[in-house]
Amino acid sequence: MGKDECKTMLDALNKVTACFRHLVIALGSTSDSQNLREELKKTRKKAQELAVANRTKLTALLKDKNISKDDRAEYERLWVLFTSSMELLDVDMKRSLEIGQDFPLKVPTRHLIQTGMTGSTTTVAARAMSVQNMKYEADANIDTVDLKELETEIAQVDQMMEEMEMKVQVAPWAVEAKQEAGAELKSTVSVGNSSVGVISICEEEPKETVEGETGLMKVFAGIIFTAVLLIAGILGYLVINL
Amino acid sequence: MTIRNVRDHGQRYRPRMACLKKVENVVLEMQDPKTGVKSQTQRLVITTIPHAITGEILRNKARAMGTMMVAFGYIYPLQDHKRLILKSDTSLYRFQTPYFWPAQQWLVEDTDYAIYLAKRNIRKKGMLELYEQEQYNNLYKWMNHKWDFIVMQAKEQYRAGKERKKPDRVVFDCQERAYWVVHRPPPGTVSAMDYGHDRMVDPNMEEKKTPDYYRRIIMFTQQCIMRPRVKSSVSIGALIKYTTTYKEHDPFLHTCLPSSPWITDDVTYWTLNMPNVETPTKMRVERWTFSFGELLMDPRGRADFRLFLKKEFSGENLAFWEACEDLKWGAAETMKEKAQQIYKTFLARGAPRWINIDGKTMDITVKGLAHPHRYVLDAAQTHIYMLMKKDSYGRYLKSPVFKETQKKAVAPEPHRFTETQLEQNAKRRRPSLSPIILRQQEEEQKAKLAASGPVDITQVMSKLERKQKN
Repeated sequence: MGKDECKTMLDALNKVTACFRHLVIALGSTSDSQNLREELKKTRKKAQELAVANRTKLTALLKDKNISKDDRAEYERLWVLFTSSMELLDVDMKRSLEIGQDFPLKVPTRHLIQTGMTGSTTTVAARAMSVQNMKYEADANIDTVDLKELETEIAQVDQMMEEMEMKVQVAPWAVEAKQEAGAELKSTVSVGNSSVGVISICEEEPKETVEGETGLMKVFAGIIFTAVLLIAGILGYLVINL
Repeated sequence: MTIRNVRDHGQRYRPRMACLKKVENVVLEMQDPKTGVKSQTQRLVITTIPHAITGEILRNKARAMGTMMVAFGYIYPLQDHKRLILKSDTSLYRFQTPYFWPAQQWLVEDTDYAIYLAKRNIRKKGMLELYEQEQYNNLYKWMNHKWDFIVMQAKEQYRAGKERKKPDRVVFDCQERAYWVVHRPPPGTVSAMDYGHDRMVDPNMEEKKTPDYYRRIIMFTQQCIMRPRVKSSVSIGALIKYTTTYKEHDPFLHTCLPSSPWITDDVTYWTLNMPNVETPTKMRVERWTFSFGELLMDPRGRADFRLFLKKEFSGENLAFWEACEDLKWGAAETMKEKAQQIYKTFLARGAPRWINIDGKTMDITVKGLAHPHRYVLDAAQTHIYMLMKKDSYGRYLKSPVFKETQKKAVAPEPHRFTETQLEQNAKRRRPSLSPIILRQQEEEQKAKLAASGPVDITQVMSKLERKQKN
């Protein structure tokens, strides 16, 4: 069925958009690297492919005149999903261009912002590309070369969005959402214990436990405990002996 | 989908935010491992995260600069995340990633905020803070058409975020939270992002020196030379006079009784100073004594003046002045009829409410009325205004009507609110009366006035004459 295909493709585009945003957020920080730039490039290309595929499918469906009203409402909803995704992608791509230009990697005095993020983003990119492991094969000056390509890609996306606006007559404000407020709480059952633990650390002001202090407290407690045990042992021995 | 047909005509250049580019350069310099800021590691219970800095050693000016950076969002505090200041103790801060820097050309979108709130909702299992919950509900109402997208995207971003290692996840959450504290400040905090009006032209952009540009500069300087100049002693004297007269009446510079609504969220001040209130406040009555213009501009003052004139049977001057104002500010289609009506009522020979203007002005006005436009009665209006100012205004200030109003004026007691009361006030904020309703009230008042008894000497005289004839 056209609708299900559309939905899966939109889900894929959604996933790639989310991962792309995570990658762009890491740009310019200490987790920036050659690999990140390559990941960005690959994710972008995938996003564009998905976008084009989605667009052709949805425009074909919407141009069809003899579909029922409900179907049409559903397709309009999917169209709004698609355009919102594209807008996010567009903004993220433009921002990645700007940040990429501001933070070149191959300069002798490179100043990446010390944000505290030191890990790599391979897993995020792997999720975007739907592969198990990412393979890195780009050459050394990817950051400058890629920027030119990025500019052309941004121009393409802009043009695509203009065409979409002109050709497809969908009133986005007329679409009604199927999800109600708080819908996101229902199906994310897979909130693992570890992540909850991590987040609770971030939420409550992290109690600034200076290492030395708690260590001292722990040592003190240990000493008292052993002293009590010792006294109990001696008393018991005396009781038994007497 | 946002309406993208509206091309960005540069309407959102924010002039006071031009400092952002300079702060960015400073932040970059701070990253230099040799000459920049030294960082430590932050130790949480299980994880250690590098790149935390403290504000301990900074002195005054550097601290002010640091506070500014925190307020703008280039650095965020790790503890006490809602107060965006740089404390000079060992509390830790961290640099914000460039994506989350406040940049001039990237608008902070509500869609992103909605996605962030949805993610937070997932994480906190529905227990959002009060102001966040309110914003969430509002956004759900306004962005309803995009809501499916927002939910989908929030879930995906949440899942993608889990793919990173634990320390990075903590840092990311702190970063995002700090970004939104800057751009959607919690209630009761001051935001550094208030920047005033947007501008049409980017003030940071270098303008190309074309002949057109030079032509503009030449015109501008020529007009500057031609401007009438006033001695600074005169203009400064006028400024001083103005400020000494009005300084106690400005609610921003002086305490405003009972309490400033902008600070305490209590609207008594505004209800006491409504345009058509029965008993005005003492401050308001005092302002009427400053100048005739003040008296006329205040609707309550004008009503009082009208009452005084009614007692003296010389209300035609004020009525004529009001009619001229109506003509000047009214709709274009009714202008001709209004002008004719005014002529018949006030200016024609033997008119029911004839006003006393000198021959020259009358000539000009009558000639102008042949081709009426908005400002045709300007000369006559000015004449009448000066007449009222020199004559009636002085008598009004000494009249029993004014003295009565002065006696009855209220002087409200200053409020003293506790913290909890202030919070309650903030929650009870409601929009004021719609301007449509206010306009209706004005119209009703005008109709009532028109229907009341004779107010001019000519009307009274003509009534007496008619009685005599019968």
